[in-house]
Amino acid sequence: MITGMDRLAAAIAGRAADRIPVFCNLLEQGAAEVGVSMRAFYQSPDLVAEAQLKMQARYGHDNVWSLMYVGKEAEMLGCRDILYADDGPPNVADFILKSPDDIDRLTIPDDLFDHPGFADSRRCTEILRAEVGGKTPICAYVTASMSLPALLMGMDKWLELLLMGPFDLRDRLLAKCSDFFIREIDAYRKAGADILVYSNPFGSTELLPMAMIRDLAMPWMERDLAPGGVDGVVYYCGSARFNKVIDLVIERLGIRAFYLSPLDDVAAGKKAVAGRGLTFGVIDDIKMVGWSGNETRAEVRRLIKAGKPGGRFGFGTLLMPLAIPERSIQIMLDAALEAGAQDEGEP
Amino acid sequence: MTLGTVINDYRQAVFDTDRDRALSIVRDAVESGVSPEDIVFKVVIPVVEAMMKAIAEDYDNNLAQHFMTAQISAQVTEEMLPLFATPPAIVGRAVLGTTKGDLHSLGKRIVIGCLRSLMVDAIDLGVNVAAETFVEQAVAHQAQVIGISAMMMHTAQGADGCLRVRALLAERGLEDKIRIAVGGAPFRFDPHLYRAVGADAWAPDGISAGRVIVDLIEQVRR
Ligand code: B12
Repeated sequence: MITGMDRLAAAIAGRAADRIPVFCNLLEQGAAEVGVSMRAFYQSPDLVAEAQLKMQARYGHDNVWSLMYVGKEAEMLGCRDILYADDGPPNVADFILKSPDDIDRLTIPDDLFDHPGFADSRRCTEILRAEVGGKTPICAYVTASMSLPALLMGMDKWLELLLMGPFDLRDRLLAKCSDFFIREIDAYRKAGADILVYSNPFGSTELLPMAMIRDLAMPWMERDLAPGGVDGVVYYCGSARFNKVIDLVIERLGIRAFYLSPLDDVAAGKKAVAGRGLTFGVIDDIKMVGWSGNETRAEVRRLIKAGKPGGRFGFGTLLMPLAIPERSIQIMLDAALEAGAQDEGEP
Repeated sequence: MTLGTVINDYRQAVFDTDRDRALSIVRDAVESGVSPEDIVFKVVIPVVEAMMKAIAEDYDNNLAQHFMTAQISAQVTEEMLPLFATPPAIVGRAVLGTTKGDLHSLGKRIVIGCLRSLMVDAIDLGVNVAAETFVEQAVAHQAQVIGISAMMMHTAQGADGCLRVRALLAERGLEDKIRIAVGGAPFRFDPHLYRAVGADAWAPDGISAGRVIVDLIEQVRR
């Protein structure tokens, strides 16, 4: 039987397959799936893995996540206060870097793989590995050095430091965050993740001007990725647009897979990738909360029609909000499996 | 130094996100005799408006520019106001905060900076603000607008957020006196969402938010 892993491999290589890879990121929905509160859910890697496996078996999409929530990265670096919600993802509620001295005091653990803060993510990855390893791609989420400070000091303090300095302090912080990235991506690879989503909103022209991406962000991305290479790495800007930087990313970083923003033009994104890699067209899952079944179906078809011809294309979602009706999830996936059928590959 | 060169140099510095250059241009201008009133009304506000226009025309702009425009404009205005010959008339008042359950403060901060440079008295209620607090503070300060920022879907459309502020305004018969503006990532991904949560208006970025909120203030004052 052809698996999600086979479909992904075919799409990367531009070969034909029974259909395009279809990624659906269902985490919040997992709590109800296994019948526990959101808080209990996000504290249990076993439940996060179990719920995802159940939903994947039911809906038939092609991926699962070792991610519990992004705030875990801050926890690994000392954050002790997480705000749980009944109807949404957990959020960092305490910023560990409150003063310039805190930045100089910040230490990055040498070994993350055996670090207690990584234990849940590792356990989740290992369960998934044991259950569907080699069949269903396991995704890991790793925040780039330039975006991690937003979780450690808040987005406004970080923008201030990034744009107004002191620049030596900024660069010392970035170096530490880059060291953390290098160790985290390595730990996820060791734990058995297949796909490493390199999340960097600051690699998007929605956040920074092109010149700053080229001259400031790029060298840090090179530093992040050089030690471990770009095997399995997917470029993603946290749902911010990045069509304009695709060329630069391929040239400077060698990344060959792109998870576009729902606000990016899919055909234009694919054109920019120009046969050099895999492009994911991503649905605006925030709009899905209010869409009718027909609207959801039409949007799935539109995206796949724009991206599928010529191969090397996949369909994906962002972090699906809990407010999306279950019926809409089913409709979206049915439509994606149907419209995505018979991936002809590259001509 | 003519006012024309000040405007041009300052505009360029703001577009280049260069705060230090912008501030020194303004300080030099005041030193050489340009009035603080002219700096605010003929330099700062027109440059914020030029930025709004650029955004509306989909000129290549980004968060870094929005942030720095608001930052620089608010700082210059704050420096100039005490130097005015007579205190300036304010356009109106707004209270702003990030909604219950949400700790993201950047969007609100940009909006407030922009409003202050547009002569709106903008009061910061902080993050994780309860609906009751929004309404109480708006009444206490006689504000015409409540500005609500939300970064996540569950805080944007949840029952404790804007929906509850709307219900409270209706309950207390305040809907003619106070308008609601919303913003944050979910509203950018779904431009119709603001209506579903009971807001009167929304804006996709902090600079356009200035215009939207000034319009709402004028609606109430009319
Ligand atoms: C940068 C970013 C991150 C960074 C930094 C986060 C942080 N702490 O700030 C990182 C990578 C760490 C991150 C992590 C997460 N993120 Co995030 N992130 C983003 C991103 C790309 C940009 C957000 C941002 O800071 N923008 C800059 C600010 C200034 O913009 P803004 O708040 O929208 O404000 C502007 C306007 O909206 C307007 N405005 C704002 N307020 C107001 C108010 C009024 C009255 C008006 C008129 C206008 C207005 O003016 C502002 C200035 O221009 C967005 C997607 C996007 N493209 O927007 C996702 C996004 C916000 N993230 C999202 C999510 C889910 C998360 C996580 C919860 C994921 C997870 N499962 O853990 C974590 C949470 C981390 C935490 N806090 O604990 C979702 C939220 C939607 C949802 N599903 O609920 C988004 C929308 C992505 C998506 N489409 O799925 N994220």
